[in-house]
Amino acid sequence: MTTRRRRAIAVRAGLAAALTALAACDGPQSVLSPAGDDASQLTTLFWVMLVGAVVLWTAMNGFFFWITRIRTGEMSRKWAEALIIGGGILFPVVVLTALLSYGLTIMPDQRAPGDGLRVRITGEQWWWRVEYWSEGADAPVVSANELRLPAGLRSDIELTAARVIHSFWVPALGGKMDMFPGRVTETSLAPHTPGTYRGQCAEFCGLSHALMAFRAVVLPEDEFDAWLAREAEDSAAPPGPGRDVFMAEGCGACHTVRGTEAAGQVGPDLTHVGSRQSLAAGILPMTSDALVDWIADPEAFKPGVEMPGYDHLPQEDMMALARWLEGLK
Amino acid sequence: MKRVLQTLAVLAVLGGLGAAVVVSFGLYNVSARVGHLPGVSWVLHTTFRNAVSLRAPKHADVPPLSPEMAELGARHFDAACAVCHAPPGRIRTATMRAMLPEPPRIADAVAGWTPAELAWIVREGVKMSGMPHWPSVRDDEVWPVVAFLMRVGEMTGEDYAALTAPPRMPARAPEGAAYCAGCHGVDGRSGNPHIPRLDILGAPYLALSLETYRGGMRESGVMRHAASEVPETALPDLVRYFAEQGSTDATTGGAGMPGTEGAADGAPRASVPEGRTSTGAVPDGTASPTPGPEAPGTNAPGTDTPGADPGLVARGEALALASSGDRDVPACRACHGPSADRKSADFPELSGQYAPYLETQLKIWRDGTRGGGPRANLMTRAAAELGDDDIAALAAYYASLSPQSAPAEE
Repeated sequence: MTTRRRRAIAVRAGLAAALTALAACDGPQSVLSPAGDDASQLTTLFWVMLVGAVVLWTAMNGFFFWITRIRTGEMSRKWAEALIIGGGILFPVVVLTALLSYGLTIMPDQRAPGDGLRVRITGEQWWWRVEYWSEGADAPVVSANELRLPAGLRSDIELTAARVIHSFWVPALGGKMDMFPGRVTETSLAPHTPGTYRGQCAEFCGLSHALMAFRAVVLPEDEFDAWLAREAEDSAAPPGPGRDVFMAEGCGACHTVRGTEAAGQVGPDLTHVGSRQSLAAGILPMTSDALVDWIADPEAFKPGVEMPGYDHLPQEDMMALARWLEGLK
Repeated sequence: MKRVLQTLAVLAVLGGLGAAVVVSFGLYNVSARVGHLPGVSWVLHTTFRNAVSLRAPKHADVPPLSPEMAELGARHFDAACAVCHAPPGRIRTATMRAMLPEPPRIADAVAGWTPAELAWIVREGVKMSGMPHWPSVRDDEVWPVVAFLMRVGEMTGEDYAALTAPPRMPARAPEGAAYCAGCHGVDGRSGNPHIPRLDILGAPYLALSLETYRGGMRESGVMRHAASEVPETALPDLVRYFAEQGSTDATTGGAGMPGTEGAADGAPRASVPEGRTSTGAVPDGTASPTPGPEAPGTNAPGTDTPGADPGLVARGEALALASSGDRDVPACRACHGPSADRKSADFPELSGQYAPYLETQLKIWRDGTRGGGPRANLMTRAAAELGDDDIAALAAYYASLSPQSAPAEE
């Protein structure tokens, strides 16, 4: 291989890598397009650190260049001692102290107390159990695989896990926080821009770790209140063939649909499943086609998933079931 | 040294050639009439005895061997084993006696073995003797047979005949029903807590069960034998007969048998059908020459329902209805009731079923050895997280319920 060809390949690979990296700078799961106070602060921290690092790197390399190529003469002892003490001890102490103080001062902000709403999120394999505790409420509003938050308010986030360690991370809204079985960790989020963002488990948690995502939907405060009130209601669970299939096939063993006999606690609450934007913890669209595919063979979409496949159901039962679930708004 | 090695090599080659000649030209006489060469029988039998002693389960793993288990074991023995090992009151046929080795009468065969060793022999079989292994991977099912074997040495011909006599069936019962009823009862209510009631299961589930036993999808040495003993063409009639017992029961008081009125409340021992022996016909296990771990009285008949611990039943109810908040165990009710919603006919009704039977089934579901129909994967997942205490609670809860009416009556 000629040197020129090698160089061309290297350039192309470099360009591809740069494009990939740049592509991550925008979109629903980017730390660089913040939609919350915490993420904004972290973004500022990132830029300060980056600029500081670039300045230091440039200065150090410039200095090396100067001393080895430009001013190559012998250095006096006095000069050398000043350089070692000043550049090796004083300068790093001052710079690092400043950065550390800045970093430490913003750390408590990430755990600032919220304005009333408390959301408890439990990492399951591989989905998210989400419970909304309004101020003063004695029972939570249970949902799953989607986090809705009011814009302009700070909400407490309580995190725990069922069996293995997970990590909760919505890059556009704030920093990540690990979730441990048998322990509660706390963070808080104060989103400021309404929109839909993406969260992802950020700690390897088993076969389908990469398929454990969710949507984080930030709503204006009044819309959020209206949504939470609707979410708290029982499902209309309209009678019909789909409901009959759901009840006859035992779906309620694992899933709750409030307002019916289905009270299972093992899998996600389906009371208003049709109102969610995604299916199967952020990996499929919420459509009846996707519901049919998922229910028939969840393993095909999420290796190791606990939900058993229902490919023994006749097609018409499956369609009726999917349409009914899609209608649970 | 070299000379020695050369001699050994030559001898080895000659020995190999000799063996090849014997095998290829059929020089060894395999005649059962001629029998073994002198000493071979002793070597084989000693190997057999020692191999069983070495591999038998630990004494502590032997469960209590109750009279009810012995009743079930006797029925299975009668159907599957009595053809070779003559039971009390019967003689071996001339043909069986011409086998090599000759299968001993059952009373002689069990002498000198511990319950654990008998369990191993029944489960594993003995190669080159004609003794088959248990025709299923389940290892819990041999204990009823062992319970019977521990008592058979003391039995008279009358005892045995009383234990295994086919019950008298109503005239409308289809052919083969008497064989099923021997264990499951004339009215489908076995009256034995180790044998499931059929009257509450419904025709689709009964048909599915027989199909999966015959097809080898569902594990059970007892039922695989039973389901293959009845001709396939007879199965639909048998299913219909036993399924009807549940629906006629509420109005006519069982299959027209005296003494079954009032059984609709689900009390399991209220319906010992005519032709069945009472448990008193089973000699007490403590008289057995080999001391077993039986504890007569601890597993008295009918302890599954009336005497059930209310705390256990309440715990089972909380699990079954998902009111315990348990996030590992799916709600049994969603498939098995009790429920206002109609359930798929492929799910068995559990209300009123016997607790020991339910416990056994839940354990083999959890251990992954049960198998079953197209929905078996659901139950395998559902039972995966059950502890022994959960299983006892769930069995006690469902046994405490009255049978749900057949779907038609809802």
